[in-house]
Amino acid sequence: MIARRDVFQAIADPTRRGIIQAVAQQSLNLNAIADKFDMSRQAVSLHVKILQECGLVVITQQGRERYCEAKLSQLKEVSNWVDQYRQFWNDQFNSLDRYLDKLH
Amino acid sequence: MDNTNQHSANAALVITREFNAPQQKVFNAFAEAEALAEWWGPPGFPITVVAFNFRPGGVFHYKASMQGQTAWGRFVYGQISRYDLLEFTSSFSNGQGGVVRAPFSDKFPMEIFNRLEFKEQDGKTTITLTGYPVNATEEEMQFYASMTGNMQQGFAGTLAQLEKYLLG
Repeated sequence: MIARRDVFQAIADPTRRGIIQAVAQQSLNLNAIADKFDMSRQAVSLHVKILQECGLVVITQQGRERYCEAKLSQLKEVSNWVDQYRQFWNDQFNSLDRYLDKLH
Repeated sequence: MDNTNQHSANAALVITREFNAPQQKVFNAFAEAEALAEWWGPPGFPITVVAFNFRPGGVFHYKASMQGQTAWGRFVYGQISRYDLLEFTSSFSNGQGGVVRAPFSDKFPMEIFNRLEFKEQDGKTTITLTGYPVNATEEEMQFYASMTGNMQQGFAGTLAQLEKYLLG
């Protein structure tokens, strides 16, 4: 089984961020993406593959063309760490508060 | 702190909290194994200190247990300036002290850099915590930051705006 790619890693690359923005507006086939970013179809395929592996885009076959569509829910998952971490620290600070009170 | 960290801090989680105790006492709660054993760790999971070396590059390795469940955590200390400043990188860990993924989410960062600044006024101490993922690149942070004027909201608010922007 291939390890799922990290979303952080996937969006670290400016071209891939550009691709996400573009396909979030409308589904695009690989040629259209290649034209938009002035890249070879091969290079586009590689970026799209990485985005696909971490679930940020899905590829659908429409006739002879493969279309690339954005799945932004993955980005939300990335954002959740902040909420989780804020909650974690609030709990820690509450606990520290009680500990300091006991020391008095 | 290098440039990358400076930039990253612009899009980080920031929490400020005031404690009703002098600075030295608050700082020492982080600086002594016996103190950490009393208050650090997930709520309801008492911790056991496995290793504690409070110096730059040193490691705090601990075990948290409740009802048969066991988890380990690890800090690697960065800058330490007694009573004023404490930096460490925190992560979930295994029993050997290696870094592991968060047990609850594969999207939670592997390692998080934490910087705590301590300031005392009128016998009360304020901690300002700044935290951000170690594996996030500067570009990524700028990407998040570029999508919002208010970076204090952190990623959650930023990404909600990003989504709106992208869906235009």
